[in-house]
Amino acid sequence: MATSRFFHGGLSDSESSSSEEDYEEESEEELEEDEAEAVDNSDESESSEGSDEDEDDDDDDDEGLEASNVAERQNRRDRFTRDAADEEDSDDDQRRFVRNKKDKRFEEIEGSIRLIENAEKINDWFVISQEFDKLNKLVTKAGHGDIVPKPYIKAIADLEEYMTETLSKEKTATKKMNATNAKALNSIKQRLKRNNRQYEQEIAQYRNDKENYLVEPDVEEASIVQQPVPERTELVGPEDDTGAYSVVTRGGKAVQLTTESIFKHLKVIVEARGKKNTDRTEQIRTMEKLLELAQTPYQKIRVLLALISTRYDLSFGVLSYMATDQWKAAEKELNVLLRVLEDNPSWIIVENGDEWEDDEKMPPTPGPGEIFKVSGSIVSFVDRLDDELTKSLQNIDPHTTEYIERLGDEAALYRTIVRSQVYFDRLIKNEKVESIGDSLNRTIMRRVEHLYYKPLAVIETMEGDSYKLLTSDSSSEVLRSNLQQESPSGIVQALCSFLYKNDTTIIRTRAMLCHIYHLALREKFYQSRDMLLMSHLQENIHNADITTQILYNRTLVQVGLCAFRNGLISEAQSCLQEILGSGRVKEHLAQGVGPQSRYSTVSPEQERLEKQRQLPFHMHINLELLEAAYLTCSMLLEIPAMAAAGSSPDMRKKVISKTFRRMLEFHERNVFPGPPENTRDHVFQAANALAAGDWKRSSELIQAIKIWDLLPNSELLKHMLSEKLQDEGLRTYIFTYAPFYDALSLTRLSEMFDLSDRKVAAVVSKMIAHDEIAAAMDQINKTVIFRKGVEVSRLQTLALTLSEKASGLIESNERVYEQKSQGGAIGGLQEGGVRTGGGGGRGGKPRTEFTGTPGGGRGRGGGRGRGGRNAQFAGERASAKS
Amino acid sequence: MSSEDPQAPAAAGVTAEGISIETARKYDLTPKIMSYLDRHLIFHLLAFVRDQQLYPAEELLQNTYDLLEPTNMTDYLMDLWKQLHGEEAEVPREFLIKREKVGQEWITLQNETAKITELLENPDVISNFRSDKMQNLQFLKDNHGVTDDMIDALLRYGQGAYSRGSYAQASDILYSFRILSTDSDKVNQATWGKLACEILTVNWEGAMEEIQKIKENIDTKPFLSPTAQLQQRTWLIHWALFPLFNHEAARDTILELFFSPNFINTIQTSCPWVLRYLAAAVITSKNRSGGSRAAAVQQKQFKDLVRVVKQELYEYKDPITEFIAALHLDFDFEEAQKKLGEAEEVLKSDFFLLGSAEAFVESARHLISEAYCRIHQRIDIKDLSQRLNLSQDEGEKWIVNLIRDTRVDAKIDYKNGTVIMNHPPQSVYQQVIEKTKGGFFRTQVLHAAVTR
Repeated sequence: MATSRFFHGGLSDSESSSSEEDYEEESEEELEEDEAEAVDNSDESESSEGSDEDEDDDDDDDEGLEASNVAERQNRRDRFTRDAADEEDSDDDQRRFVRNKKDKRFEEIEGSIRLIENAEKINDWFVISQEFDKLNKLVTKAGHGDIVPKPYIKAIADLEEYMTETLSKEKTATKKMNATNAKALNSIKQRLKRNNRQYEQEIAQYRNDKENYLVEPDVEEASIVQQPVPERTELVGPEDDTGAYSVVTRGGKAVQLTTESIFKHLKVIVEARGKKNTDRTEQIRTMEKLLELAQTPYQKIRVLLALISTRYDLSFGVLSYMATDQWKAAEKELNVLLRVLEDNPSWIIVENGDEWEDDEKMPPTPGPGEIFKVSGSIVSFVDRLDDELTKSLQNIDPHTTEYIERLGDEAALYRTIVRSQVYFDRLIKNEKVESIGDSLNRTIMRRVEHLYYKPLAVIETMEGDSYKLLTSDSSSEVLRSNLQQESPSGIVQALCSFLYKNDTTIIRTRAMLCHIYHLALREKFYQSRDMLLMSHLQENIHNADITTQILYNRTLVQVGLCAFRNGLISEAQSCLQEILGSGRVKEHLAQGVGPQSRYSTVSPEQERLEKQRQLPFHMHINLELLEAAYLTCSMLLEIPAMAAAGSSPDMRKKVISKTFRRMLEFHERNVFPGPPENTRDHVFQAANALAAGDWKRSSELIQAIKIWDLLPNSELLKHMLSEKLQDEGLRTYIFTYAPFYDALSLTRLSEMFDLSDRKVAAVVSKMIAHDEIAAAMDQINKTVIFRKGVEVSRLQTLALTLSEKASGLIESNERVYEQKSQGGAIGGLQEGGVRTGGGGGRGGKPRTEFTGTPGGGRGRGGGRGRGGRNAQFAGERASAKS
Repeated sequence: MSSEDPQAPAAAGVTAEGISIETARKYDLTPKIMSYLDRHLIFHLLAFVRDQQLYPAEELLQNTYDLLEPTNMTDYLMDLWKQLHGEEAEVPREFLIKREKVGQEWITLQNETAKITELLENPDVISNFRSDKMQNLQFLKDNHGVTDDMIDALLRYGQGAYSRGSYAQASDILYSFRILSTDSDKVNQATWGKLACEILTVNWEGAMEEIQKIKENIDTKPFLSPTAQLQQRTWLIHWALFPLFNHEAARDTILELFFSPNFINTIQTSCPWVLRYLAAAVITSKNRSGGSRAAAVQQKQFKDLVRVVKQELYEYKDPITEFIAALHLDFDFEEAQKKLGEAEEVLKSDFFLLGSAEAFVESARHLISEAYCRIHQRIDIKDLSQRLNLSQDEGEKWIVNLIRDTRVDAKIDYKNGTVIMNHPPQSVYQQVIEKTKGGFFRTQVLHAAVTR
């Protein structure tokens, strides 16, 4: 350490160049002092000031470090050699604590510059290129924005000169540079030019006065040491304005704002947009004042456009949301803007507006019938307003009053959306406006997305409110048709039909899904199911973006719930199965993050995205209700199926709902089942009771589930469920106990299950007809007679299974062949399989998908066609997860 | 097409005329079917409805008049006018003017096409025709100075003839047009026109040919949008109803057509009411004897029918489909019996099904007893007779016939008045044999297809 220091000290006097690199490398380890010393030493343009004081200082310093004689001697030498350097040093010492970091940067910069100079001498462009990069980085770090160190300017100016020189030499030179060098030269040529353009002024300044350029600032630096004032001299153009402007407002002298100067102020504000250190709240205040001053529509439009976008700028980042007051202000101003546009039909705002060159002057007022286009985008304002509301709803705790209050703003937002829709509608009708892109569609889509999940009464209120704002003459085709329809039920339909006709993008898909959801909500199961099937969405939904997939999942679940409410158990089960069978319901519906899987770790990035997608609480579908519906459906299908399967192991494999079976097994493992506490307990105890043939208890347990009360007409629903339980209970009973009876009296059965004779006979007949039980009815005695000797041995079962599988294999082979030969007929063989696909793409209804017998074709070779659908969902699930 | 709805005015006007008429009117499909038919075809439907006396004759007459007004059958129209307004009423002048105009147009068309019709009647020209249309056209153009305009005039001529009501003539003209024209759109139009002509002239063989042609046309036309395709299929389905119930030989072909995936989808999507006809046709054809293959086809069709009826139950139901649902979905025999009674009424007042009502009831009884016997072991004859709407003696006879015809394993216990069915359990061996029966053949076919 000591030696090295000594060594350097010795060298430092002479003009050394080779040692510079060492300094660079060591600079990290060296003491602060050493660094400073080294740089100072090599500084050529050094002012020479001698002072004893400094020496003392230095001594103290050194003594602290090395207290021996050797050190003393060395110190003396040091003093001798360093002589010149020390004065700077002393200076340094005084201000070290303040300017440490900054100085360090400057020193590094200078080091780099020196390296470049050296490399120039040996024509090593590779090093130059490297150092140039480093230099630029350092400058930006040290620069604090606008201060550009003079040495840097000098360096780049010199470098440019040298480069041009080299390039011209290169052309004539016989011996070419080596490859790396040439490459580096080329790259630096380009970068340097680009870089230097930024500093043109400074470089020009330097070139004019090469000698004094550096000296002068040095003096300045020495005298005023480290006030960051020098920036002022380097400020140019618009920034000067800002400075002046901000002074004005800071002083509170807003009087300077006049109607005439509106555009000037606006220009300043717009230019400052996106820059660091701009005080946006200040700007907003200014603009609010400007708005008051604005008189002509053009002024108002311009001010409002700038004002609204500035308000949006206030909040940034994905997780933070706009403050409520700001949001409300933005909403109000957007409405004012729309009002201005409504009142002055000759001014319009479109995305590709006419450029008015002179920003500070008024364009000519368009005559009646003419229009003037102002650049801007209403639709993006509306979108942003909507998004901000959603964001804030995502972030507010849904159980607070704040949430409710915030939700109240949705009505205002909806009004704004309707209003902007009217505006776009007007634009579309005006043939002078060339095209407004998909603005109208986007607005209508927003509207649909605010309506589709709401009950009719709410829609009615929202709609009613929204018309109050509209002036009477602002007519809209879509709107008028709505008004005529009176009933709120037609609104979603009308809006969606408009989108079907006028859009082909993802908006159309979303509109379709919203429409289906809405229909399902209003108990139109068949209509919604047919739409869902005819849209062929399940084939390609996994290619869609994740929010659309979520919407699809929501729709599917809602259709399932609708089927459940209508007593269509197997349909409900197959709809709900797709989502609830996966075990990741929350994620699929974007209603919260599910428990993390043990095997996959989610990066914070993914987690953030996931959070962004979450739906606000008021849009949630009740998960408990979903689960209750799903489990009840599964129970009604699964328990008789399990009873029918009996103990034969092969039959047991036909699982309708894996989730249900797993939970049931888990439930059965409990040694002491207590009274049911939650929904799940209720369902599984009911399932056990049903399996034992005790339909009354089962029904009681199901009726006791409280969550049903959330549904409209819960009494009807309970009644329906209890009827289903009677039916299924009877079936289960017969399946379970048939082996133990020769004959069963129908009357007895009807007593046991509280059903009419006719109903019992029908149920039993059905079972006989479908070969579910080996029995026949005796009409005279009103009994069911079970045939004996129909039980099959293990070998026979296996043989049956084998033959079934073989025929399944043949079928699937045929199907594969058909697909390959594009439906080419092989004899009369294409009977079964193609029925589903036949209508595809021809507007037909591939109905069989839904109504396929439950359990049939699941996990069997023969069921590939239907199984394919499940596979698609698996894929979709996987992508929805990410 | 015309949108007359005779149901609306009629429903209010008529007082009680008995339950049967009430039912018949409730399930009257005429208005629905009419929107998919041509004027000239609807005319026959309306005439039938008039005979049925379900609706006031006056209004129907008016409807018929409105329907035919755009056509060129002026003489008939004048008759109608007189019927409507009384014999003495003076025929308005417009009629006469129109008649004159139509006559003139007709003569112009005749003149325009005189040359080409002459050519086509010339055996020398015909003998020079080849199978290639383009060549024929070129030949005519080169040798006889025929232009494209003349050929198009032929189409108009055909339309004119059709509009006047001379269907046979129109059929011939359209046939000639089709030979010559290369414009596939117009050929398609001509084919539809010819089908109408064939139906109206009760030439079922010809109609079947046209139906096949149209079907191929719909299936192969690549540029047809799915909606247009669907619409054309719907039309074809309705038009095909005419031969379906009037021409015995066409029945199997048309049923096969209806049960092909594209058409069954069309029925489900756009015209579920056709299910009534489908059901009636399938049930009535079930009774007819046929080879084992025909029986297998019928079995399959019936299964398909039950499936489709089940799927569409929410969208369309009438006594016929409800009968099927009651019998094969719910196994509710009492309900089935009730529906059968209603269905009979409906059939009797249906233009297409009037002729097959008897056969339908007969077949339906078979269906009921078949299902009944399958489920029961011991049946009370009295009860069964009731189910079949028969007296006890008739019922017994019926059962004897049934046992004889279908070789059901059953005996009558005369003393107790019961039938005892014997259901031998299907042996496992038989089941395995059934399941694997076709396997070898199917694999062979597949193999042959793959190696080809």
